[in-house]
Amino acid sequence: MELFLQTLVDGLLIGGLIIVIGVGFSLCFGVMHIIDFAVGEWVMLGAYTAFWMVRYLGRDPFLYLPVIFFLYLAIGYLIYPLIHRAVSGRRHNPALMGLVFTFGLASLIKGGALTAWGFHVRSVTTWLSGESLALGVAVVPALRFAGFAFGVLATVAFMLFLKWSKIGVAIRAMAQDRVMAELLGVDTNRVSALVYAMYTGLTGMAGVLIGALFSIHAGMGLKYTTFAFFVVVLAGMGYVPGVIPAAFLLGLLQSFVTVYVSGRYTLLAVFFVLYLTLLVRPRGLLGRGW
Amino acid sequence: MAVPLFVSSFWLRIATEVLMWAGLAQSWNIIGGYTGYLSFGHGAFFGIGAYTTAILMVHAGWPFWPTLPVGAVLSVLCAATIGIPTLRLRGAYFAIATWAFGEAVRQVATVLEITGGAFGMQLPPFLNLPFFYEAILIATILTYLLAYLLLERSMFGYKLRAIRENEIAAETAGVDTVVTKIEAFALSAIPAAIFGGLYAYLITYIHPDSVLGPAITDLMVVMVLFGGVGTLWGPLVGATAIQLVNRLLWFLRGESTLYLVYAGVAICLVVLFMPDGLMGLVERRRVLFRPRENLKALLRQFKL
Repeated sequence: MELFLQTLVDGLLIGGLIIVIGVGFSLCFGVMHIIDFAVGEWVMLGAYTAFWMVRYLGRDPFLYLPVIFFLYLAIGYLIYPLIHRAVSGRRHNPALMGLVFTFGLASLIKGGALTAWGFHVRSVTTWLSGESLALGVAVVPALRFAGFAFGVLATVAFMLFLKWSKIGVAIRAMAQDRVMAELLGVDTNRVSALVYAMYTGLTGMAGVLIGALFSIHAGMGLKYTTFAFFVVVLAGMGYVPGVIPAAFLLGLLQSFVTVYVSGRYTLLAVFFVLYLTLLVRPRGLLGRGW
Repeated sequence: MAVPLFVSSFWLRIATEVLMWAGLAQSWNIIGGYTGYLSFGHGAFFGIGAYTTAILMVHAGWPFWPTLPVGAVLSVLCAATIGIPTLRLRGAYFAIATWAFGEAVRQVATVLEITGGAFGMQLPPFLNLPFFYEAILIATILTYLLAYLLLERSMFGYKLRAIRENEIAAETAGVDTVVTKIEAFALSAIPAAIFGGLYAYLITYIHPDSVLGPAITDLMVVMVLFGGVGTLWGPLVGATAIQLVNRLLWFLRGESTLYLVYAGVAICLVVLFMPDGLMGLVERRRVLFRPRENLKALLRQFKL
């Protein structure tokens, strides 16, 4: 029973962190209809950036969270025009060209990281590492709780931004009807660039937390790309609020399979549920997908 | 076309690889190029073919040839399993599902006992390069013949292209789009599995990274893109060019993970500047390759 509760709490805490990745990814799809195959690679890059900053500048990785956010915001903003070019223009099937482009981008980032940093597994320590927190019946590492808290805070802040800011309104309008939004004076190109930039920024930041919680290596992106796909498919593609239950479900699935079956089967379980969802409820568990 | 006697085994090996990649690229082209549905897990069919041959030969003591059709049938079954739910949906779902399938197959091969886990399998060695050259040559010719007859010269090919250009219009015109797409996907899995089986016997030692690694799908995609998406000869041109460059780099730099970078850069550049590939340049049907204007257009987009 104790193990069960511990697993439950662990799963929920991880789920809270995964929400951040899912929200940006889902919004990106909702607004631009692009699936970013590089999503896990942004997580990996965020984690590595934190690692190198700590190595060369010292101090705590959490201190660099805002820096990393703005760094990846800028990178995403600079990459978006390339994606825009890939999906627009005189070629048959523009949406697929966008997919191919992000697929190439993922391969490029992953290959670059493997070449530059090799297959070593690295880790960062934070002031919370080694601390633990009694949470009712379960004892959790403080770091996990920090990841959860970060996830919830970042998601709430992002949701508030979408709800109340002028750009947020424009983003939501675009997700509903791109042409109409453009007719009403939304600069769709700039808004798309901002959405992509915020998505890469948020994902890079999530990478820092993930890197602090688990290990950092160049091949880690695969797992988080899988997680992001899982979350958006279960949520319904492009339906942002659905991400929250889907992410918690993923966290629970992962932690229960790891504890009760074996860590080797986690990804397989994730793929299996993903396939079942596509088979039974392709528009997401809530049926609100695109 | 017998084995050219005057060439060294070095060039024979390279010719064998080029031919194999030409066939693999064509197999991706059937679903990705002609139908316009991107399969980002196509390497899985190659791996399934390779592992089927290895398992049947090592654990069941089969001779080589009968293992190839078994691998092909297994791949077709897998393709149908993936295709039936996802080909009803938008292309994005299909891309996600195939990608997940590719990764899942690699996980399975790493976990199972029968595949030797991460250590892989040793096949009975049969080091006869001319034999493999001829076998792969025949398989490639058959693949291209199949593609020519089915995709360029039959109703099936027109249906696929109709789906690629405008799926709703195709449906309205009476094409059963779901069935046609599933057929195309299943068809595209067959050559990949056969080449997988041949390749496993050729290299005699396989492990999850060598026959199920992400680079295999990457290379298929980049070869087709570079040669020309949805054309008959594009994959051959692309595979020849990319594989020769790949080998050259291998000589200069040794085996490294750098090929992922090259493949990624090549994919991105082709998508941005040369979406019709080399065949598009030759045929001059669509956008010409104009570096300066393309670059200007790109820079204009940065003024957001």
